[in-house]
Amino acid sequence: MIELTNVSYSYEGAAALLDIHLKIERGQSVSLLGPNGSGKSTLLKVINGLIFPSAGSYRFDGAEITEKALKDVKFSKSFHQRLGFVFQNSETQLFCSNVFDEVAFGPRQMGFDEKEVAERVGDCLKLLNLRGFEQRAPYHLSGGEKKKVAIACVLALNPEVLVLDEPMNGLDPRTERWLAEFIINLNKSGKTVIVSTHNLELVQEISQRAVLFGEDHRIAADLDTYSLLDDVVLLKRVNLVDEYYHRHDEHGHGHFHIHNF
Amino acid sequence: MPEWLLKSENYAPLADRDTFINKSILSLLKVLSKIRAQGGYKEDKLFVSPVFKLVFTLLYIVLLSVSQSFPYAYIMLTCQLLVLCLLPGRDIRRVLAGSLLATLFTFLIVLPTLLSGNTYSVIMIPLKVFSSITAVNILSNSTRWDRIIGALKRFHFPDLFLFVFDITVKYIFLLGEFSLEMLYAVKLRSVGRNKSKYASLGGVAGTLFLKSREMSEEMYAAMECRGFTGEYRSYEKFSLRAADVLYLLMNAAMTAIFFYFQGVAGKL
Repeated sequence: MIELTNVSYSYEGAAALLDIHLKIERGQSVSLLGPNGSGKSTLLKVINGLIFPSAGSYRFDGAEITEKALKDVKFSKSFHQRLGFVFQNSETQLFCSNVFDEVAFGPRQMGFDEKEVAERVGDCLKLLNLRGFEQRAPYHLSGGEKKKVAIACVLALNPEVLVLDEPMNGLDPRTERWLAEFIINLNKSGKTVIVSTHNLELVQEISQRAVLFGEDHRIAADLDTYSLLDDVVLLKRVNLVDEYYHRHDEHGHGHFHIHNF
Repeated sequence: MPEWLLKSENYAPLADRDTFINKSILSLLKVLSKIRAQGGYKEDKLFVSPVFKLVFTLLYIVLLSVSQSFPYAYIMLTCQLLVLCLLPGRDIRRVLAGSLLATLFTFLIVLPTLLSGNTYSVIMIPLKVFSSITAVNILSNSTRWDRIIGALKRFHFPDLFLFVFDITVKYIFLLGEFSLEMLYAVKLRSVGRNKSKYASLGGVAGTLFLKSREMSEEMYAAMECRGFTGEYRSYEKFSLRAADVLYLLMNAAMTAIFFYFQGVAGKL
């Protein structure tokens, strides 16, 4: 469904992505891991057609995504409906005066009548435990609530692919856990999910496959999540973890923890 | 999960115009990449104290505005262009682009005075505009903002003015990035016919205003926590270097030339 071949991208001459080969099939759940500045967020922007590769090609469902292709308004709108993007800073994603209008923004544009719009908004708010927030101003919500509203806005478009950039950032452990369960359920319902994250505790639960980026802006490994997390040497080599991180899974309950000393 | 979310959406979008959003994104991207490009390497050039640069740039503009002598304007212009040559090529292009655009605009405005035979204004005014804007551009391209603020402090500019100036410069880039993300969000979520595009952009502007207030309050609080009392201090030690002496001599000569030509004009 998503195919990147030999993709490179640079900001003002500084490389952000180098020679990326990545194929994601429909219904997969993929995590992007890597240290800060390794190119994960840039890749998500390429996948969403916000920036375009300086070299290589990107195909979505067989169609090449280029600046020229996205100038075709109908194609561009259909592409953006099929691919939902939740930004790292969800605050930037909210621009309406209340939560109801925020979630209804997409469905209204898709031509639904107000009854269907209200139904869809209601479903999304219920799904994200946001009932009662309809008339609240999005800007004044807490970080976790803003994140939920941003997800609701994207879900209301019913995209086939859901792309989430560092969704766990700034969330309390309870909301983090809730979001992980939510992502798993979305994937089970048939959505393709791409998540960029630093949360190694939850990554093995939310995705079957993990792509690891190195500090050289290339893909260092593309493996099933358990195998990748088992390869601590590789994780250390790309500077994602340090020597204090280790993995316990002798009881079938794998997790990472850090020693306090 | 609601039933509609389990099905794939059978949706064919209608055509709509997104030019305004796309153009806004493009122009913001250009501004941000320019700021980013400057931020990486901007350091003081010309090796002259910012205090002297600031004083003589202002003096230069005042003298040029007062003068009615063509030879003086030409000599000053030549000096400006010579100083400009000392900057890197990228800075020269940036300085000239701004100056030429403003000069062209001024020239078009004063052009009708030719009809009344006023050739003096048609040449002199654009010349003065070009020269003055080049001087200011040289100052801003060759001096870091914090050093300009330090120089302003030496002239006892009010702290409130310096604080607003400082924060504005610091936040132009951050707010630019924030607004770019918001425009991206509008673009990504505009998947059909948006009947109220300007309302969405109004929302972006409103959120941006709230964000800028919040950011400046947070930064002020952080500065207070680190001992800032609202008073700006300049910690730079002043020392006269060879480049400063040369710059002072050059500007003294230019001031003398101004009075010489004023005297010549007086005799005539």
